[in-house]
Amino acid sequence: MLMMELYIALFLLSVVTFLSGKNAKVYSLAVSGAFLLIFLFYFSYRYWGLSAVHGTLQTIPISPAYGFNFSLQSSGLSAVLVVIATFVIFAAIFVSSGNYSQVFYGLIMLTMSGLIGLLLSANLLFFYIFWEVVLVPVYFLIGLYGNRRSDTVSLKFFVYTHIGSVLMLLSFFSLYTYYFYETNGSFSMSISSLMNPALFETMPVFWRGFVFFGLFVAFLVKLPSFPLHSWLPDSYETAPYPVTIVLAGALSIMGGYGFFGILLPVVKVIPQGFLLALIVLGIISLIYFSLSAMSQLSMKRMMAYASAAAMGFVTISFGSGAIELQNSFSPSLYNLAFAGGMYQVLVHGLIMAMIFSSLYYVTKSTGKEMIGSLGGIFRGAPVISSFLLVGLLASLGLPGMAGFVAEFSVLAGIYGEIGMWILLIIFAMLITASYHIWMAQRTLFGPYNEVLGNIHDAGASSSAILTVMMLAIIFLGVFPHSVFELFTNYASGVVIP
Amino acid sequence: MTAVVTGIDALQYFIPEFILGITGFAILAAGMFGSSRKVNASITFVSLAASFVYTLTMFNHPVYVLSSTFLLDNFGLYFMLLFLAAGMLITFPAIINISAKSEIFFSLLLFTTVGMIIAASSSNLIVLFVSFEAVSTGTYVMTAFHKTERTLEASTKYFFTGAVSTSIIVLGISYFYEATGTFYLSPSPAIISSGAMLVSLILLVIGFGFKLAIFPMHQWAIDTYDGSENSVSAFLSTGSKLVAFMIMLRVFVSGFYGDANDFYIIFTLLAIVTMTYGNFSALSETNLKRLLAYSSVAQAGYLILVFSAAGYAIGISDTNLMEYAVAAGMIYSLVYIFMKGGAFLAMNLSSTKKVDVSDLSGLNKKSPAAALSLSILLLSLAGIPFTGGFLGKFFLFLALIEVKLWWLAVIAILNSAVSVFYYLRVILVMYRGEPSENIKVSSLGVIPLVVCAAAVIILGVYFALFSTVLGFVGGLFR
Repeated sequence: MLMMELYIALFLLSVVTFLSGKNAKVYSLAVSGAFLLIFLFYFSYRYWGLSAVHGTLQTIPISPAYGFNFSLQSSGLSAVLVVIATFVIFAAIFVSSGNYSQVFYGLIMLTMSGLIGLLLSANLLFFYIFWEVVLVPVYFLIGLYGNRRSDTVSLKFFVYTHIGSVLMLLSFFSLYTYYFYETNGSFSMSISSLMNPALFETMPVFWRGFVFFGLFVAFLVKLPSFPLHSWLPDSYETAPYPVTIVLAGALSIMGGYGFFGILLPVVKVIPQGFLLALIVLGIISLIYFSLSAMSQLSMKRMMAYASAAAMGFVTISFGSGAIELQNSFSPSLYNLAFAGGMYQVLVHGLIMAMIFSSLYYVTKSTGKEMIGSLGGIFRGAPVISSFLLVGLLASLGLPGMAGFVAEFSVLAGIYGEIGMWILLIIFAMLITASYHIWMAQRTLFGPYNEVLGNIHDAGASSSAILTVMMLAIIFLGVFPHSVFELFTNYASGVVIP
Repeated sequence: MTAVVTGIDALQYFIPEFILGITGFAILAAGMFGSSRKVNASITFVSLAASFVYTLTMFNHPVYVLSSTFLLDNFGLYFMLLFLAAGMLITFPAIINISAKSEIFFSLLLFTTVGMIIAASSSNLIVLFVSFEAVSTGTYVMTAFHKTERTLEASTKYFFTGAVSTSIIVLGISYFYEATGTFYLSPSPAIISSGAMLVSLILLVIGFGFKLAIFPMHQWAIDTYDGSENSVSAFLSTGSKLVAFMIMLRVFVSGFYGDANDFYIIFTLLAIVTMTYGNFSALSETNLKRLLAYSSVAQAGYLILVFSAAGYAIGISDTNLMEYAVAAGMIYSLVYIFMKGGAFLAMNLSSTKKVDVSDLSGLNKKSPAAALSLSILLLSLAGIPFTGGFLGKFFLFLALIEVKLWWLAVIAILNSAVSVFYYLRVILVMYRGEPSENIKVSSLGVIPLVVCAAAVIILGVYFALFSTVLGFVGGLFR
């Protein structure tokens, strides 16, 4: 109900941003803020009972005979992710310095409407279209507003994701074709009929593998996971801070949603080799990205690696949960792993938005981005340093904050499957903790770097948005039940054992 | 059943040709009395539009005329509309560069278009050949227009390769006659692969391949597109190219129906090298027109994937899938006119003859509408959703997957990803940096771009078009 109307309104209002002239920031802030509240109330109302798995399906037929429809349907997972994505983009617009033109805000708003369309789409054709369309505004945001090397970096970002997404398109084509054979002549692109284990079981082994290969590559590029990650540090570093917030906080949801929103119904038929590869890549990502992060000189790049490392939990939880399911473990175990992975997608967006926002304020007040040129700024800017510290602690998984809940439930859920290999993950978590603390030590505390001169602290508005983020992180860490239960229900409702 | 019309009644089916031909002579006559180029262009446009509208009324009444050498059905009529649209697209932009003796240019345009729409309405090899020659001859002269050193060089290259390819086509046709005993192109599975058939196939692929500019018969196209006037380049790379594509659909998918496996192999190899060569050559190109020319070679590679998919589908005796492949090619042709034609017409925004990528730097500041439209066209060439280019590639790759040529689809898709590099490079240049002094914004330069961009966007969301076009494919086999 109402979803379609809301979405079309959002899309049109986003396009209007390009015409909003000098008031672009105020306008886009108003629109995203209004939609944040609307989504928050709408989905709270819709999913309060915690039992609903899917919302109502609404469809605009495009070419129904061929199965091409524009249809939207929310789920327990996408509802939460839509709210968080809207919030992150609202925050990105909020912290932006306001010197940007209406094109900048228009592109950010387009990114938001594309992302929300992707999360709500119930048709694979439009899932693909939004997946691809989100790239274009982000490409321009990096290419036009980025700092050094922005032209090559934005191209790299685009081409990486584009290759992944076209492979995904081929997978969808194969499914579409086999659905046609299977039903003797009817076409469908809807997620519910194509993402169906029964359909996969009728496909030859090669084509099943082909489909999963394409989807895995697309999602792994976007997460990102080793070895498809090299666009990420460059893009995060080159993009201006508001865009980095969008990238790290909102767009990182896409890969995770690909796994849990699209692939979850068919985990039963994913070949075990693929799942093992997923776990291995996840563990490599965790360790390798954490080690890379440790050796970075720039705070922004370090946090980019931290963001990539955190996504290792998503692949590990998905892979192990799926293997547990195929080996007939208890449903409560693999649902815990799945829900933990989803929770990680959610809190990662929030935490990264907070870290990059506070990094932005640090950079703004000191003019420095390299770790070596900072030091002891807690003395001059205690408020902003505290917020950065909170973000870092949340990111390293301190109990009481949201990140801990996700990591703990993933570890608890996967132990049954991966056994002693869990030590590797613990090891990676140790590295993660150490470089977070080390960075805080070198930048926030210690002797004051006199070269910086007098620095000013964050103002009231920046404290306000960071406080909201902090409260959300702590709320999700202390009362995870509200959302976690929703994810567990979603997992147990969608997974077909 | 298809009706057969004989005698003088047949003339009513040639009204579109008559409209264009008579107007062509009228313009020549008007030129003697000094009509201005704007008047000539307007008359040309009106007659093309009239012909277009009349063609629309001829749909859904398939008919054989003139001893069955002409067949007017939805397949041919669809392509007639495309050719007329390609002509209309360049009529007004041509005013910018065609200064002297414009009546000759515009009447040539009309005569060439007559050749094109005759080609679209015949399935007889002799008629196809003659109309194809008419198109070639017309475009030779159009390329050389103004007789500057650049255009003459472009035209000479075009003429010599064109003449060679023509003779190869004639040779191929004679072998075809030797193998089948007929000049009529109809699918007769009885014709099995014979030696003469194979020779004919190879010769015809080479001959038509020149016109379509597929590797290794492409080199003339790069120099000719670069050297001729912008609107002529646009016409060569859309109208003239699609005539070759349409004839190839008739010749290979229909005429070589019994020999599908051979042309599947040949076209698959050619498609792979053409796409790869075109895209990788465009990567390092800084001359914008040559960049577009290489991209046009790559696009020809995508187009001939249709023959791979269709040939493979015939090989596994699945006519449904074969029809999908052909329909995908027809959709791609439609989109191609607007995206490629529009992109070449964008060269009119620069005042230099040799347009460099950097000549468009800062275009956004001088004319946001032109920059946005050209970006849409380039994104469409790259195949980004919500543009017609996406729709074309979507159905093309879908056709490949449906016949289970997954490896070919993967090659095509990786190529498509490579192409993103050079299209996006141009877009970024337009939006960054200071406006270059070579930018010359005029309403004649910008409006066609906006029209093309709008068409590309409309086609990009019109998925239902596919089922309509699919209904036209049957005409290939009457």
